[in-house]
Amino acid sequence: MADQRASIKRLIFTLTFIGVFGSLFLAFVFNWTNPYILEHEARAREEAILTVLPDAVRYEEEERNDYTFYRGYDEQDQEVGIAVEYSEAGYQAFVYVMVGVDLNREEVVGAHVLNHQETPGLGARITEEDFLNNFRDLPVGEYEVVDSPEEEYEIEGIAGATISVEAVKEAVSGGGMLIMEHFGGDR
Amino acid sequence: MIEFEYLLFLFLGTVLVNNFVLIQFLGICPFLGVSSYVETAFNMGLATTFVMTMTAFIVYLVNTFILEAFNLVFLQYMAFIIVIASLVQLVEMVIRYVSPVLYKALGIYLPLITTNCAIMGMALMIPLEGYNFIESIVFGFAAGVGFTLAIVLIAGLREKLQFEDVPESLQGVPITLIMAGIMGLAFMGFAGMITV
Amino acid sequence: MKNLISIFRNGLWAENPVFKLVLGLCPALAVTNTVVNGFAMGLATSFVLIASEIVISLIRDYIPDDVRIPSFILVIVIFVTFTDYFLAAFFPEISNALALFIPLIVTNCLILGRSEAFASKNPLHKSITDAVGMGIGFTWVLVVLSGIREFLGMGSLMGVDILGAEYTEMIIMILPSGAFLTLGAMVGVIKAIDRKVGARND
Repeated sequence: MADQRASIKRLIFTLTFIGVFGSLFLAFVFNWTNPYILEHEARAREEAILTVLPDAVRYEEEERNDYTFYRGYDEQDQEVGIAVEYSEAGYQAFVYVMVGVDLNREEVVGAHVLNHQETPGLGARITEEDFLNNFRDLPVGEYEVVDSPEEEYEIEGIAGATISVEAVKEAVSGGGMLIMEHFGGDR
Repeated sequence: MIEFEYLLFLFLGTVLVNNFVLIQFLGICPFLGVSSYVETAFNMGLATTFVMTMTAFIVYLVNTFILEAFNLVFLQYMAFIIVIASLVQLVEMVIRYVSPVLYKALGIYLPLITTNCAIMGMALMIPLEGYNFIESIVFGFAAGVGFTLAIVLIAGLREKLQFEDVPESLQGVPITLIMAGIMGLAFMGFAGMITV
Repeated sequence: MKNLISIFRNGLWAENPVFKLVLGLCPALAVTNTVVNGFAMGLATSFVLIASEIVISLIRDYIPDDVRIPSFILVIVIFVTFTDYFLAAFFPEISNALALFIPLIVTNCLILGRSEAFASKNPLHKSITDAVGMGIGFTWVLVVLSGIREFLGMGSLMGVDILGAEYTEMIIMILPSGAFLTLGAMVGVIKAIDRKVGARND
């Protein structure tokens, strides 16, 4: 290794040099990769919105009260519904769900899990279509998880994934009510 | 839920339900390295908890007022590790001054707190979960307590194990990991107790 | 050349990072729930290890002794940040799967350990060899570990369902406990193998 008793100046200089050089390098890396990262996010978001608003072919962003809502439009440029991202605490971390609501019928028309850290094989099954189909054409409001749904507001759960299922249920419920709160009645 | 209740649940949730070591896999190296005796383990836990709480505090400030304010989020890992390394250095000097005996007992493990993934992991979770200032400090403290709990429990078991007949191949690391696995099962019982 | 080969083989078994040096366990336990994840983590860590050992070996004469550990950490964190953004941009599924554990490569004592023990004292060609050997040593253990966990835990390997729908999965394998138990058993087995081989050689 270099000098035995290097001066304090030398020590500080070495660290600062590495730090500055590294920061510049990373700034370059960030600028290079950021567009791709944003593109992935945008694409995932678009996929989610179009899934939860089945008749939509495009969407427009609208901000209200610090929340970002997405208006979906079909080919005839008719509005088909509003979507919003909502999250609830799951088993490992937060579960992020995109919820779509048809304002005319005051129903949730779709849900899509965006991001989660749930257990593979168990909680992660909340991304399965069979489960998410529970949330098509549900009245906006509170729901209950049961084994064999009979009532309108009852949802079928997944064995061994109680908490993850609860999280999605709460997120759809919360997201749906949030949309009605901002867009129901007056538009 | 009022703020205090939330903080309490955050604390319990982090110590038990999402225990850093047994459930989130953070802090394994020191977990295996310093857990032979309860007393060393406890001291290590104490030092780590202190570093974690201070880290949470400073990381929140740095992240909010420097990184996010100036659009330097890509320097996050660098900034955080610098904060952690500096704090560990500071703690080292303080312990050396206050209790040379403890300093000697902890030995090499003190500087190794810097590479304790539990601290870095905790620091990264603060911007990730969007904790505010108070929440960050509670979270950091709780993470340390959870870590201390896990490491002390395992040390207790290991101390008892010294009088048992462990097959030679399993001695040391293997049996500790297996015990941790069983303990992890026990801790999983806390799941769902508190959802934060 | 012979020297290089022995340095390389060192990382594969004799001084294997996971079960001999007992370094880098956090990722070994956390992201080995599927083979793809384990392999990706091994690759990512190997990349940071190789890059760091290269740089540190090159600048080793310019770093004053007192600041060598902080310097190494800075170099490592730079490459880790690079890896994180690179994966997020070009391999988003892997980035999401490995999540927190990519930045945690910074605290992987393997990289800091090798930088301190080897790269700071050895020329470039030896350091690269050491890094590659250690990287492969780390990766193969992760792949085996995740192979066991994925196979027993989900009945599949690399996402391909092998045991079929009839198989009752051992869910515990995917959960944290399973990781601990599997690694513990693996290390125990390896220690037993080592002892048998050692006894035979005596």
